[in-house]
Amino acid sequence: MVALLRRRLGAIALHTLLIAGGVVMLFPFLWMMLTAFKGQQQMIQDPLGWLPDPWRPENFPDALGMMPFGRAYWNSFYIATVVVVATLLSASMAAYAFARIEFPFSKTLFMVFLLTQMVPSQVTLVPLYVMLSKFGWIDTHWALIVPAIANPFAVFMMRQFIRSVPVELEEAARLDGANRWTIFTRIVLPNVRPGLAALGIIVFLGSWNSFLYPLIFLNSEDNYTVPLLLSQFKGQHGGLNYGLVLAASAVSVIPMLIAFLIGQRRIINSMAASGLGGR
Amino acid sequence: MFVPRTLRVAALLAVATALTATGCGSSDSGGSGKVSLTWSTWGSPEELDRFKEFNKDFMQRHPDIKVTLQAVPSYSEYHAKLLTQLSSNTAPDVFYVGDDNIAKFVSSGRLSPLNELMAAPDSKAKTEDFFDGLYGGAKTKDGQVYGLPNDANPEVLWYDKQALKEAGVTEDPATLNEQGKWTMATFLEMNRKLKGAGKAGSIFYNWYGSTYSMINGFGGKVYDGTDFVATTDLKSREALKTLADGYADKTFLVADNLPEGDGVEPQFIKHKAGFLAGGRYIIDTAKKGGQEANYDIVPFPSQTGAPIPAAVAASFLSLNKDSKHAKEAWTFLSEFVSKEGQTLRLKGGGNAVPSVKGAESVVLEGYPAHAQTFVDTRDKGYANYAQEAGVPGLTAEINDSLMKLWTGKVGFEQEMSDLKALVSTKLI
Amino acid sequence: MTSSTLPAPPRETAESRRTRTLSNAAVRASKARRRREQGWAALFLAPQFLALAVFMLVPFGFAVVLSFMNWDGLGDKSWAGLANYREQLSDPEFHDAVLNTLLLGAITVPVGLALALLVAMALNNVRGKTFYRVVYFLPVVTSSVAVSVIWQIILASGDLGLLNNTVHDWFGITLPDWLDNENWVMVAIAAVTIWSSLGLNVVIFLAGLQAIPSHLGEVARIDGAGPVRVFRHITLPLLSPTIFFSFVIAVISSFQAFDQIYVLVDPKRNEGARTIVYQVYDLGFRDFRFGASSAAALLLTVMTVIVTVIQFRAQKRFVHYES
Repeated sequence: MVALLRRRLGAIALHTLLIAGGVVMLFPFLWMMLTAFKGQQQMIQDPLGWLPDPWRPENFPDALGMMPFGRAYWNSFYIATVVVVATLLSASMAAYAFARIEFPFSKTLFMVFLLTQMVPSQVTLVPLYVMLSKFGWIDTHWALIVPAIANPFAVFMMRQFIRSVPVELEEAARLDGANRWTIFTRIVLPNVRPGLAALGIIVFLGSWNSFLYPLIFLNSEDNYTVPLLLSQFKGQHGGLNYGLVLAASAVSVIPMLIAFLIGQRRIINSMAASGLGGR
Repeated sequence: MFVPRTLRVAALLAVATALTATGCGSSDSGGSGKVSLTWSTWGSPEELDRFKEFNKDFMQRHPDIKVTLQAVPSYSEYHAKLLTQLSSNTAPDVFYVGDDNIAKFVSSGRLSPLNELMAAPDSKAKTEDFFDGLYGGAKTKDGQVYGLPNDANPEVLWYDKQALKEAGVTEDPATLNEQGKWTMATFLEMNRKLKGAGKAGSIFYNWYGSTYSMINGFGGKVYDGTDFVATTDLKSREALKTLADGYADKTFLVADNLPEGDGVEPQFIKHKAGFLAGGRYIIDTAKKGGQEANYDIVPFPSQTGAPIPAAVAASFLSLNKDSKHAKEAWTFLSEFVSKEGQTLRLKGGGNAVPSVKGAESVVLEGYPAHAQTFVDTRDKGYANYAQEAGVPGLTAEINDSLMKLWTGKVGFEQEMSDLKALVSTKLI
Repeated sequence: MTSSTLPAPPRETAESRRTRTLSNAAVRASKARRRREQGWAALFLAPQFLALAVFMLVPFGFAVVLSFMNWDGLGDKSWAGLANYREQLSDPEFHDAVLNTLLLGAITVPVGLALALLVAMALNNVRGKTFYRVVYFLPVVTSSVAVSVIWQIILASGDLGLLNNTVHDWFGITLPDWLDNENWVMVAIAAVTIWSSLGLNVVIFLAGLQAIPSHLGEVARIDGAGPVRVFRHITLPLLSPTIFFSFVIAVISSFQAFDQIYVLVDPKRNEGARTIVYQVYDLGFRDFRFGASSAAALLLTVMTVIVTVIQFRAQKRFVHYES
């Protein structure tokens, strides 16, 4: 009886703690939504009033009309998709070579891959910029897509997944005369699907949210990605009209949140899997 | 392969668009014989709207040219971006350059010289059309011009009548000015009263326009011949000391450092400050609060009350040396800065005062009440001192150095010797 | 080798000849196979390796060269020797940047990981786990720019700032101007960083916790161990590889913080927010001093390598791997 009561109390305390934390996590989003409906007059007179007065849903069409958000969404989406496809394919290919094929200096080469991970990406910012301008890629999406494919972390992660595929499967296929490429596409890849999905989600989020490269490599508004457009929007309208800025911010956030809620189980598990790469 | 069909289709689609979308990123319009020009500037949404209108108007007059505006909101980010664009050969055909940055861009060798183009018989922008004092760093010592003044923004003091009244100030600054009684002492006294009433006295942007206007207002000198004397001339030192003390006790505020969401616009609209130093572009801010009549302008005060030359902010329109359509780019540039172009851009509460002669009417359309002050200030004004404007990056470094004094990071005497050392190593 | 040291070749017999040709064929076949395998390896490695070489190794080498040069991207390059490094190492701005970067790491890493561990342990055996996981994870899928825009209006000074005005109205306490005060701004940035990455660490720890066989804790408890001892002697050691991994990642990402700083507080306005990456950006793309920027970036690399090596050294003492 006492034990039961104690467990009950413990559970209540636990939930209280978790709910308090949850409020801290959710409140900023709520405040964003409330502010997004406030008009300029209210932002001058009483920016901290809890509820918008009057509610101004026009902030949303206004924000959407002022800058090409639809375009930015498409840009961000297709850039991220291309990066994901190219990274998944090339990284699992390299990972397969490291995991299954014997070749000289395999270990050394793998170490080189891992070591490049330690170099902060900002080191290559200036040289990359100079190089890309020689290629004529500045202010094009190539600058965001092609360099992003080099991803040692993805190789590392895929290697872990591929190593867990039983070798016997491959040997059976090899006896049937299948070559490496056939084995890779027909046997290895289908068996690491969960790994590919996990990596795909991680790479997609990374590309979607990246900011520094678009900031430096893009010039034309029509080429902007969502985060860059939002930061420029804030720069332009942030003086007084915060309702508008937060509406723009909501526009940039909500579709991602919805997509997350739909695929939350898989997304969260993928991210958790990435963290267990260290085991 | 095992990838689900929907994903495969999506990937294929994405790759296909990637190939087409990024493939034709160049500025050529492709077919149709239409020339595509891009030009770039900074500005507020209201200002950018005006520029877009100018674009539309221009394209109607020149159906064979398509013009696109590339805007960067912040002034400092704009120049950084422009440099990156120039270094990667992706810069627009025509672009704005601010007066404190123009020397750097001229020395980079990436701007087209304009003298010949201006002298052509059918030129819409001739050398003599513009006020000579406005060329600043855009004109080199040998007289070559690398940028034309788009327009000008004489630095004046906007004041908030309600704020002054609430602080117990009974006199109207503009009236005092008309009577020849607008002195530095009166101005500082008003600031003290504003401070006493819990408001800020004045808000200044940290640039030579306000700093040197204050020095001049104390009767001090910035340059004596080729020597930088702002740190040694007694009256100049008094001016700088007054500014530093004012910033320290919040009688004055640095506009650049105001907190996000509590910047110049809300401060001025909510009557939290008496004076705001700035140009005609403040009109947009004054109008936002819905109390236009509450604001008026007055020149910077002088020691005696007699008018003194004041700083004029200018920006220049330059032509990219590597533009693929130099001819069309010049057409756009010259029409943009011509009398007609400026009238079109600046009428109806525009953001500046014309830099060409004979277009004053756009300023004198009734707001603010003493709009004539803009014209007077421009006619007697100067776009920075030639000594300073000609040295790439010097103005910016002086501003950065003074900012340390305004924010209390270094003491007054220390800053005076730092500043002197800084300028003397840079001046030739 | 001289011929005198070689043993005399054995006289060939018919049999030995046959075996030799046989083994020769085998050797040739295996050689060919090995070569074919190497060809496959090269083929499989090519795309990643090419991308890595062109977009990481070459630029890295270029950065090293640039760091010994003066170049503004427009004019000519000239050799600077060690001047860029010397300048950065004696520049108070760079010192501040290093201190601020270390400060950010010193707050976000321990506090962020401890909070995440706490939440993960609370979630481990609780009903509604899925719901909480989603809630805590929301900021992770939100772009850092949007996160910064949202937090800016909460932390702002003046009339807009929700936090300070509310605390002042309710409790009469005046909090520091988070984003405009040089001494507090890093704390604010750290808090926002922790907020936005907490969910990720929570789910990683949670997955780690669930991989721990529950009977281990039960056995210990039956033996009379309290919850604290179970945590110290069973949970923590078994979770240590996961914690270590998150630790390394958190340190590296705190060293590379940029987005939230650029959007939340432009260090041009508040020097207290200057980090090394911001310094790299500022020198390179605002001042156009590519050499100095590269030097600062390479100093950051050195710092990262040193700290990572220290972590891997320390790992041997603190991290428990199952054999």
